[in-house]
Amino acid sequence: MTEAALGLGAEEQDALTQLVLRGMYQGEPSPAQQALVDAGLASARGAVMMPTQAGVQAVSGLLKCEKDSETEQKIYQLFTSFLPINRKLREVCTDWQRLPDGSPNDHTDSTWDAGVRDRLDGIHAGIGRILKRLSSVDATFDRYREQLGEALAKFDGGDRAALASPLSQSYHNVWMWLHQHLILMLGLSRKEDEELEEKLVREQTD
Amino acid sequence: MSAAPPPPSTAVLVPYGQGAARGLGVDEIGRHGAQFDRMVALGLPTVPGVTVVASSARLLTDGSLAERAVELLEELTGRRVVDPQRPMLLRLSASASTEVAGLPADLTAIGLTVERAEHIGEIIGREDEAIPFYRSFVRALAEGALDVDVDDLEDIQFDISDPREQILAMLELCATKGSGPIPEEPAEQLALAARAFFTQWDSPRAQRARSAQGLPDDLPIALHVEAVRVGPGERSGYGVAVSRHLQTGEPGPHGTYYRGLRRAALKDEAGEALTAESEGYALLRHALTTLERHFGTVAKVSYEVRDAELSLLEAIPVTRLAGAVQLRLAVDSVSQHGAPPAAGVALVTPAAVEEMLHPQLTLTGAEQVFTTGLPASPGAAFGRVTLSAERVLALAELGEAAIFVATETSPADVPALMAASGVVTSNGGLASHAAVVARGAGRPAVCGASDLEVDVAAGTITAGGTVLADGAMISIDGSSGALYAGRLSIRPADPPAELQTLLGWADGLRRLGVRTNADTAVEAAAAVRLGAEGIGLCRTEHQFLGARLPLIRRLILAENAEDESAALAGLAVAQREDFRALLAAMGDRPVTVRLLDAPLHEFIPHDGVYETVQQKARALGMREANSMLGLRGVRLAVLHEGLYPAQVDALVRAWADVRAEGGNPTLEIMVPLVALPAELALVMGQIHRTVAAVAGELGIEVPYTVGSMIETPRAALLAGQIAEHSQFLSFGTNDLTQLTYGFSRDDVEKFVLAAYLEKGLLSVSPFATLDAEGVGALIAMAVRDARAVRPDIKLGICGEHGGDPASIEFLETLGLDYVSCSPNRVPVARLAAARAASSS
Repeated sequence: MTEAALGLGAEEQDALTQLVLRGMYQGEPSPAQQALVDAGLASARGAVMMPTQAGVQAVSGLLKCEKDSETEQKIYQLFTSFLPINRKLREVCTDWQRLPDGSPNDHTDSTWDAGVRDRLDGIHAGIGRILKRLSSVDATFDRYREQLGEALAKFDGGDRAALASPLSQSYHNVWMWLHQHLILMLGLSRKEDEELEEKLVREQTD
Repeated sequence: MSAAPPPPSTAVLVPYGQGAARGLGVDEIGRHGAQFDRMVALGLPTVPGVTVVASSARLLTDGSLAERAVELLEELTGRRVVDPQRPMLLRLSASASTEVAGLPADLTAIGLTVERAEHIGEIIGREDEAIPFYRSFVRALAEGALDVDVDDLEDIQFDISDPREQILAMLELCATKGSGPIPEEPAEQLALAARAFFTQWDSPRAQRARSAQGLPDDLPIALHVEAVRVGPGERSGYGVAVSRHLQTGEPGPHGTYYRGLRRAALKDEAGEALTAESEGYALLRHALTTLERHFGTVAKVSYEVRDAELSLLEAIPVTRLAGAVQLRLAVDSVSQHGAPPAAGVALVTPAAVEEMLHPQLTLTGAEQVFTTGLPASPGAAFGRVTLSAERVLALAELGEAAIFVATETSPADVPALMAASGVVTSNGGLASHAAVVARGAGRPAVCGASDLEVDVAAGTITAGGTVLADGAMISIDGSSGALYAGRLSIRPADPPAELQTLLGWADGLRRLGVRTNADTAVEAAAAVRLGAEGIGLCRTEHQFLGARLPLIRRLILAENAEDESAALAGLAVAQREDFRALLAAMGDRPVTVRLLDAPLHEFIPHDGVYETVQQKARALGMREANSMLGLRGVRLAVLHEGLYPAQVDALVRAWADVRAEGGNPTLEIMVPLVALPAELALVMGQIHRTVAAVAGELGIEVPYTVGSMIETPRAALLAGQIAEHSQFLSFGTNDLTQLTYGFSRDDVEKFVLAAYLEKGLLSVSPFATLDAEGVGALIAMAVRDARAVRPDIKLGICGEHGGDPASIEFLETLGLDYVSCSPNRVPVARLAAARAASSS
């Protein structure tokens, strides 16, 4: 689907893409977001705005790489580097939230928390290198590097929610948007995504 | 070879298991080395390995020491690294004297070349098995020891897809752009690996991890060189196991087994479940049993199986255990292994007992498990099966509970995850995005219910042949991973049978009595089932909230003596029935009845609905600025002299009723909010005269005792004088805390306490855990003064602190006779009292 077919300007298109990748927006809508509601691409439910099915389809069409194109190949190759580290990030978030016995992490064990933070370092460096390469294919990926950096800085500033809270621009939330972005570019189903991740993780030696 | 002679290798290289024999402690051989000392001492089979002591560990970067380490290991194993028939590899790891985050990750396969990797693949029976290990090793050395630029290495990994070609390109890069080539000689590889370790250990990242743990920058580490003996894949592998199931506490090895070369970290998903048929199972069971008894807690091991022979690689105690596991472990250790009951009681924390009694799905045994998944986020919930995110939001707007069920979730589902009562996914694991979000939002979740088929088009979910439609009721338990069709009720759990056993032992160990605060027969009966030895506080005013409110209002608002006695007569009739039921529920246990303490704002609110205009006017006229400090407690009895006699009259008649039916509860009558010994003396006179009159009228003898609450600092300060009129004293620590601090609880809990806790002025709310320093000092003084006057005086507490383990520990040191707490905390208090008695 092209920009013209949607009849959206660049700003609206970006707003729609963001809305679809994030799943929701909470707060005062911008004029561009209001335009999406008017066009039937988004719906507002109280203070929460969500994309409509038409909006989701439009963005899927917008983002999807041309089949067998060089871009698709490059993105796919980077995606295979992303998935193993994606698993590690989810494991780190999980270990931040719960202890090995399944009880909530009360953050009284500084060794445990320091270990989680230390692993996050490796992940942050790894995703930085992947994003650098993604940005050379599509500059919009720069945004994630900034947002992940901001979330990490907040986390290091003592905001414990900045790693895995579902309601803020937390590290895990930004990461999920990035993951969704890649999935839409490659036109993969979540099932294909999971299977590929599992296969790649098994091949890891560390 | 260097010119200066290195220290003798026997002082630097210590074979696993020989640290203690050489007089070396954990500071020299590290936690890992100490584990091997322990395993060897217990007679368990271990993998051969050599520790390079912490004080000399950096010498391993020198080729000659590395050479001697390899020789020693070859001697210990009877293998050679480059042997074509029986090869081995080396694994390098590090440990400090204490648990520490930020240690370098293990280097898992030292000694490889491309050819050797291929040869090892042949032996294992998987051609490419060792190639990725060699690639990781080359990458780690290039980056950590040979100063190769990370971006150049990344380029190779991104630009070349064939692993062998990646390796060749990295080797080339090391030789041309790095500080040297990757050697083929195992000892030289080991020396470089040690260098890579120290590069990482000295890096700012690792320094930060140490500082976050409050550990010194220069914390020494020991290095460990371990044999990785290669064997055919069908008879060789490695795994992890624990001595008990980590959710249920079921004894026996539970874990996973992996074939092929051992990785740095284990991947849960990649292993085979450990079964009794697994290679080496019998020895593993023996090792885990031995270790569990040695540790006194669940043991966790890593192990290796080579040619069907088991060796341990690691053995650690599991320190954080789920409540059910603590309990099972404690009961088994006493019942089966002969540990003393006190040791069993010490294994279970009061918090674990609390957790076991948390609200959960009520299971009768008749319900059918629809399917199970992984317990991804704790808690229980029920609601309608809802397959679309939009529908979840629509139901949430209507106030209807929805369980969001999906194969997997994407960011678009986050609003639904937040709005749902619970979440179920068929795919994904404990670390799926859905699980992370559900935990973050505090929603119960079951993830990875792999038998569940979700058909969004048909609007159904299916598991094990059962089909549920979109909209059907379902209940989920995020703590066990179970799904049930239909709506199950959620209520506090019944204590498991093992808990009764444990609490039985606790009862034999504790000195403090445990009573309950109960106002009705139903509460009292529940508390008795949970082990309460009596009622420490029956708040008679609570019997007058709700439908009986007008009775008490008529009394307080009576215009004249006539109105007052009419009101009192009504009150006495109602109370007699309440008391009879309560006393009957308690059998022959003691029951402390506190005479009326009715803060006026609770009973005659200014905005209440009154029977008459006159009543309303009088209520407004009596409005107080601070009802918690106004006309309440004993003060009401001083103003309305008929009040307490009416209550005592009802109580004694109720006791006589119960006595006639065969019950024999011990009556204890208690006066609230005393500040003056004289006001206590006044109402004690009322009480004694009333009991004598009723007993005379009924022609029976009524055994009873009288006592006073100690809730005001003045009463605490004058406890000696108060004790002259009292056979028992009960510390009401809620009010005593309010009045000692000058805190109005309702007000400070809104803003003040949170800020004080955040700023570190308080470490815990004094309403949750008794303030030992201030309020505790008052209690200590009162205890001493009261006992000086009346050595046999009975002393207890009946504030909420009576169920708080930390407060109980403190109260034990003061030598009180009993604590009284809400019924559901009785088991917690029984255990806490036993632990306090053992530790004091």
